[in-house]
Amino acid sequence: MRVLSTVKFTALRMLRSYIVLLLLLVVPIILLTVFSFILSGAVPESGVPYINETSMTQVLVFQLFGGSIVMSLIYNDLFTENKIRMYALPFNQTMYAFSIMMCGALFSTLLGALLMVYSQFVLGVMWQNWLWMIYIISLMAVLSIIVCLIFTFSVKNFKIAERLSEVYGIGFVVLAGLFFPMPENGFFDFLGSYGNPLTLSMGAIRDMGESNIGDAWFQANILLGAIIILFVVMLILGRRKIG
Amino acid sequence: MMIASMQGVVKRYGSQLVLDYIDLDIQEGEIIGLLGPNGAGKTTLIQTLTGITAFERGKVELFGQTENPFSNQNKEKIGLVTQEITVFEELTAKENLQFFAGVYGLKGEEKKKRVAEALEFVGLADKGGKMPTKFSGGMKRRLNIACALTHRPKLLIMDEPTVGIDPQSRNYILEAVKKLRDSGTTILYTTHYMEEVQSIATRVVIMDQGQIIKEGTVNELIQTVQHEEKVKMDVTDPESVPIHSLEKIAGVKKVIVSGSQITVISAVHSGNLDRIISIVKEYAGVLGIQADKPNLEDVFLTLTGKHLRDKGGE
Ligand SMILES: Nc1ncnc2c1ncn2[C@@H]1O[C@H](COP(=O)(O)OP(=O)(O)OP(=O)(O)O)[C@@H](O)[C@H]1O
Ligand SMILES: [Mg+2]
Repeated sequence: MRVLSTVKFTALRMLRSYIVLLLLLVVPIILLTVFSFILSGAVPESGVPYINETSMTQVLVFQLFGGSIVMSLIYNDLFTENKIRMYALPFNQTMYAFSIMMCGALFSTLLGALLMVYSQFVLGVMWQNWLWMIYIISLMAVLSIIVCLIFTFSVKNFKIAERLSEVYGIGFVVLAGLFFPMPENGFFDFLGSYGNPLTLSMGAIRDMGESNIGDAWFQANILLGAIIILFVVMLILGRRKIG
Repeated sequence: MMIASMQGVVKRYGSQLVLDYIDLDIQEGEIIGLLGPNGAGKTTLIQTLTGITAFERGKVELFGQTENPFSNQNKEKIGLVTQEITVFEELTAKENLQFFAGVYGLKGEEKKKRVAEALEFVGLADKGGKMPTKFSGGMKRRLNIACALTHRPKLLIMDEPTVGIDPQSRNYILEAVKKLRDSGTTILYTTHYMEEVQSIATRVVIMDQGQIIKEGTVNELIQTVQHEEKVKMDVTDPESVPIHSLEKIAGVKKVIVSGSQITVISAVHSGNLDRIISIVKEYAGVLGIQADKPNLEDVFLTLTGKHLRDKGGE
């Protein structure tokens, strides 16, 4: 497996993509800090401080954008002039693309975990179930990567694919009703609940926290199902472009 | 030994015929200079030869294999220097080389050694820790070349490795190619600069509009376009050389003596250089010989009616 030898360098390239680090780590840290000052100590009737919910939302929102780094590396290596060199190499290009995806998923999950660490140890948020949280974060990371790659494979112009991936991120934040309330009808209800990865992941974590284990798994499994279906779509689209 | 061969290869982009029944054999140890104007199909030829691009007709053979010429096993024996600079911008020069060395299966100490060697080879030994974004154009070019060298390929393919760089870097690259040649690497080299081909190629292949229109050694090609051969000799004692016996050699048109120099003008393809020299040597010492010939640019112009380089380009 020659591809294994490249993983270290893919990781390095991700760690050095400063814009991504800025957007997915520095910006949420600043936002979380600001929120924690605004909400300082506010506790609703439920007894769980507001900042807990806000932190959880923040961490998950930024996962919607986690696929951008994978998309740009795969595009750069396998779709631009660089592809000539990559295809001359004695390794499996499809495997190489998968290795970038895996690295990206780990990278996004790691950034999410760093945000959790920051909010727990600096802002005093108590995460009830670290493992569950990280599992949900990783599902969101994988989903975002797959969606971004579907855009990369199906749109000719990469700039448009990038814009679409932003629409995916911002769109589901809006549909979740986080900016302003959505109209109340069947369509928006669905896209603000079971049809929205953000609300699904938030629901899964909330339910786990309230010990509604069945509901929590149900929502996580919808995410997993979406991942599996979209993964197949991605493979079909990608087969024509890579390998 | 045959390293690579293309037989009747046809490639189209849309309706445009880019490779038009290409036949090309590359023997071990050859340095082939592939010359052609912009859009001739040089890069496409390289891409079909290395299995990067599919072609619609014909056969490619690599290292004796026709069944599965583009196996990873064969790819390991090839080094490709791409026309565009294709290095990772987020990795240092050294890391770039480590990436490629790793993909070619090098490990541990051996990898370390080869990476250092490749950096040294292209004159970037002290720049290994730098990001290519901080490099000049020539340095990037050199790194681009080094990326294809760590695994010591049997066949090195260089697609315009000297384009758009300063003369110093260019000389450095040419010297490096000569070193590789001396160590037994077979090289396919494309360029717009005929001086480069003239100085390194053992054989020249000229392409235009998807076809190989001429091939041969530099001298053979030049002879096809020149109308007479001119040999100038500096001799110790020109008076004692019998001019009439030189004039009697087949093909000789004219003999001119001026000062210590004898100039013999012959018809093309006379192949009488040996005869001329041996006669002169009987009567005088030969200090120097100079054959005044047209260059490859003239060949190119005669064959295609075009100049090798676009005016003002590159
Ligand atoms: N991917 C592609 N899609 C469509 N046409 C292409 C593609 N690549 C090359 N061509 C066309 O094929 C022809 C040959 O191109 P190629 O790049 O092989 O020429 P070249 O001899 O390498 O030229 P240059 O000296 O400019 O590098 C050109 O007319 C070019 O426009
Ligand atoms: Mg070219």
